[in-house]
Amino acid sequence: MAAIPLMKGTLDLLVLKALSWTPMHGLEITNWLEHQSSGELSFDESGVYQALYRMEERGLIEAEWGVSDHNRRARYYEITPAGRRHLAAETRRLVRYGELVTGILTAPAKA
Amino acid sequence: MIRPGIRRLFRLRLRRSDLVAQELDDEIQAHLALRAEQLEQQGLSPEAARAEALRRFGPVDEARRKLLRAAERRERRLGMRTWTAGIRQDLRYAWRSIVREPGFAAVVVVVIALGVGANATMFGIVDRLLLRGPEHVREPDRVARIHVTTHEPGEGSSTSGTFGYVTYTALRDGARSFERVAAYAMTERTLGSGEDAEEIPVGEATWDFFPLLGVRPAVGRFFSEAEDRPGDAQRVAVLGYGLWTRRYAADPAIVGRTITIDGLPYTVAGVAPKGFTGAELRRADLWRPMSLRHPAPDWQTTWNSLWLHIVARLKPGVTAEQASADATIAFRRAYTGDDAPMREARVSADPLYVDDDGGPSMEVAVSRWLVGVSFVVLLVACANVANLMIARAVRRRREVAVRLALGIARGRLVRLLLTESVLLAGLGGAAALLVVLFGGRLVRTTLLPDIEWISSPVNGRVLMVAAALTLLTGILTGLAPALQSDRRRLLTALHTGVREGGGRSSRTRAALAITQAAFSVVLLVGAGLFVRSLWNAYAIDLGVEPDQVVTVRASWPPQQADEALPEPFEETLQQRRDAFYQRALDRARSNPDVEHAALAIGVPFHSGFGVRLRVTGWDSIPALPGGGPYIQAVSAGYFATVGLQLLRGRVFDRSDHAGTEPVAIVNRTMARTLWPGGEAVGQCLRIGSGTDVPCARVVGIVEDAHRFSLREQPAMQYYIPFGQEQGIGGTMLLVRARSQPAAAVMESLRRELHDIDPTVLRLDVEPLQDRLDPQFRPWRLGAILIGVFGALALVIAAIGLYSLIAYMVAGRTHELGVRLALGAPTSDVLRLVLRRGLALAGGGVAVGVLLSLLIAPQIRELLFDTSPRDPLIYGAVAAVLLVAAGLASLVPARRAARVDPAVVLRSD
Repeated sequence: MAAIPLMKGTLDLLVLKALSWTPMHGLEITNWLEHQSSGELSFDESGVYQALYRMEERGLIEAEWGVSDHNRRARYYEITPAGRRHLAAETRRLVRYGELVTGILTAPAKA
Repeated sequence: MIRPGIRRLFRLRLRRSDLVAQELDDEIQAHLALRAEQLEQQGLSPEAARAEALRRFGPVDEARRKLLRAAERRERRLGMRTWTAGIRQDLRYAWRSIVREPGFAAVVVVVIALGVGANATMFGIVDRLLLRGPEHVREPDRVARIHVTTHEPGEGSSTSGTFGYVTYTALRDGARSFERVAAYAMTERTLGSGEDAEEIPVGEATWDFFPLLGVRPAVGRFFSEAEDRPGDAQRVAVLGYGLWTRRYAADPAIVGRTITIDGLPYTVAGVAPKGFTGAELRRADLWRPMSLRHPAPDWQTTWNSLWLHIVARLKPGVTAEQASADATIAFRRAYTGDDAPMREARVSADPLYVDDDGGPSMEVAVSRWLVGVSFVVLLVACANVANLMIARAVRRRREVAVRLALGIARGRLVRLLLTESVLLAGLGGAAALLVVLFGGRLVRTTLLPDIEWISSPVNGRVLMVAAALTLLTGILTGLAPALQSDRRRLLTALHTGVREGGGRSSRTRAALAITQAAFSVVLLVGAGLFVRSLWNAYAIDLGVEPDQVVTVRASWPPQQADEALPEPFEETLQQRRDAFYQRALDRARSNPDVEHAALAIGVPFHSGFGVRLRVTGWDSIPALPGGGPYIQAVSAGYFATVGLQLLRGRVFDRSDHAGTEPVAIVNRTMARTLWPGGEAVGQCLRIGSGTDVPCARVVGIVEDAHRFSLREQPAMQYYIPFGQEQGIGGTMLLVRARSQPAAAVMESLRRELHDIDPTVLRLDVEPLQDRLDPQFRPWRLGAILIGVFGALALVIAAIGLYSLIAYMVAGRTHELGVRLALGAPTSDVLRLVLRRGLALAGGGVAVGVLLSLLIAPQIRELLFDTSPRDPLIYGAVAAVLLVAAGLASLVPARRAARVDPAVVLRSD
């Protein structure tokens, strides 16, 4: 199967999930997503930054310039308590959504 | 890896779009560089890695554009959130520090409340008098009040806003620059009968008055042209809104019903809207057609009967100057009277608030100055609060220094201090509303009791002004200490632990104290000038003595003399009137409390008349600036009753009455003007129009008397015996009481005269002084209000001086302790402190006196026979201030003297 494009809105949650482990900069988040989806999800790298800026505006994450492993300057993002709450609620919703849709689509045909 | 987020709170991030763009570029570059590094580690060459990184990222420029927009929005939102969080934090901090020092906060709040409150109150007053204009007038700046100015060569000019009906018709029909012209007059009538009767202010208006103003009735309609036809006027009335709610329970069914005015039935046509007061600001309970009033038989055409005011609406695009010129032409063309200067008169179309004599009324002028005065009080209050704030800032410099050391930006610190001062000012502003409520009511009842106030002193516009002043005060008083917070100096102070704040703050505080004292001096001088004016006004020689005289006037139903009657009724009423007054005069004379009594037509401060006069040797009587010549018909005993002094010849006695030889008495000005250098007694006056008027022989000369007001230009007056008059009417009985106060005799008069004629509708017994008292009001008011403001400013300045001296003493405790330990007597210490206080006050007095000498001449017109540079007043004020300063310095001085040297020397 070719890489599946992300549906609108889910990139935000994925990025948030990434940050829920530890603060990361933009590339680290991109790598993490590629790794977690084994390359099956396709997304725009600049889209990651759009998602980051959006969420920073809403106060779900905070940003700070820092220094990476190899002494390079990079902008690090960190999840906020509000972001954690948002992530938990949206995750529940999305998972439930997936269950419902999957359930309907895989229901046996009527005899 | 992450710097603590707490640092962000202390940094002021000023993001501009290029900073945002720069940061975005940095981030994208970082991403690409890191990706390239990653790829290099996987084995690619640096160039290939770079290319691959770019490819993976996607179209950079397009992405960059989109990201830039997102980043800018982010920064805006975040910036605002940080800002509001910072403000909230500042407010919390400010509130805590206020609560920590409640005494300081209380003083500041009170001082600001007084300063802002005074200003907001005066704004409310001036707003009503000048800025807003009468209610329910459409485009009031297009409505003009007509005045006429005549010029007598050598005598100056005089302006009047009172006209006859003929002027109204002349302008209405002849002047082309007006859309509409209307006339009105304000008077008083009796509403109802018997027990229910009350005297109400009534407006008489031509039918076009209401369309001109553009007012719509609340209920029903106004009267129509057909109802105001001269000669055929109908008795319709329009009720005032207040009267309608008060007396008729706001019942809409009142329209069409009949009410009684002066004993006559009137049909109610409608109700005026709430707050409508015509073209002036005084209350009007009722409106009736102008044509119902007939002051003279030829009232439509005569130029001699003046009783109404004229307003006109300018046509669109016409300026006041053009309208004035046009009206002047129309007036001169129409004038057919005898008064020569009137033929050259100039008509002007002035703003509505201009008073009858062509200038702003006394109330307006005084109110304007009171606005300035209250502003000065606000400045004093600000100076005082700033002073207190500086002192507090010095107390808190340790705390501020710590913050600076932690890296707070100077701007952020200023914002913090301003938040505190604005919060305090806000509390003061809220309290100021109480001051406005109370003060506004006070000023309304004392200065402007006749004016109809349609809203509470605290209304929308006043609130806005109060809010603006509060903000201004908060910022000004907060800047004072903020500007003092020099980082280096504070850090040095922190290190050395010196107790006294630097010389700069002391100098500033001293300057502020001197400023407050100076302003207090200015205000007190102003008050003193008004008090002096009031004193002089009371002392002025009016010629007559109104405080000793009581007037009695009766009115009858069914008809008044100023309404046309068929002849037989007119006779009867006239006879009845004559009989009443004769009997009243006799009864008054036999009253033991009465010293003198007389009848008069034309009474000082009530009414004045002018009739045609010819004198041998003069083609036309010269017109003096005071107008005239004025005629009065008086019975025997008049001059003794009013206390007017006889200069030559004789007064009238019982043998001068109707039918006897026509005689006359002239006043001094008339004698001097008409027969300069010669003898007035024996000369001939031909009084009245007509071909064969007999000579009235002058038999005496009396002193000049004031006719209407305290300040008047000289005018010619002459008197004829009661009963010999023709063409003038309106008898009054004048009574001089034997003992003071004159009011005491009023009761006995009312009782005695009540039953002479049972058909009398109403008997008005009033002290003549009541007509005069309102004229003292502006000076009385100026003296009281400016005096109050001045005392306020003085108290504030004294508090300021006290705090300054106390602070100074606290700072020098060590030094004073040393002095005392070295054997200096306590009186030395006392003298030291007192000298400082008096020096400051002396500086304030000097500056204040200088300012006063500069400003005072501006209010020369408002004063009454008082020089703006009166040295007595200045000296008294200086003395008061120095005494106050001395007292203010005494308390800290005594405390300084009681310092225990041992304690002080031991501590550091």
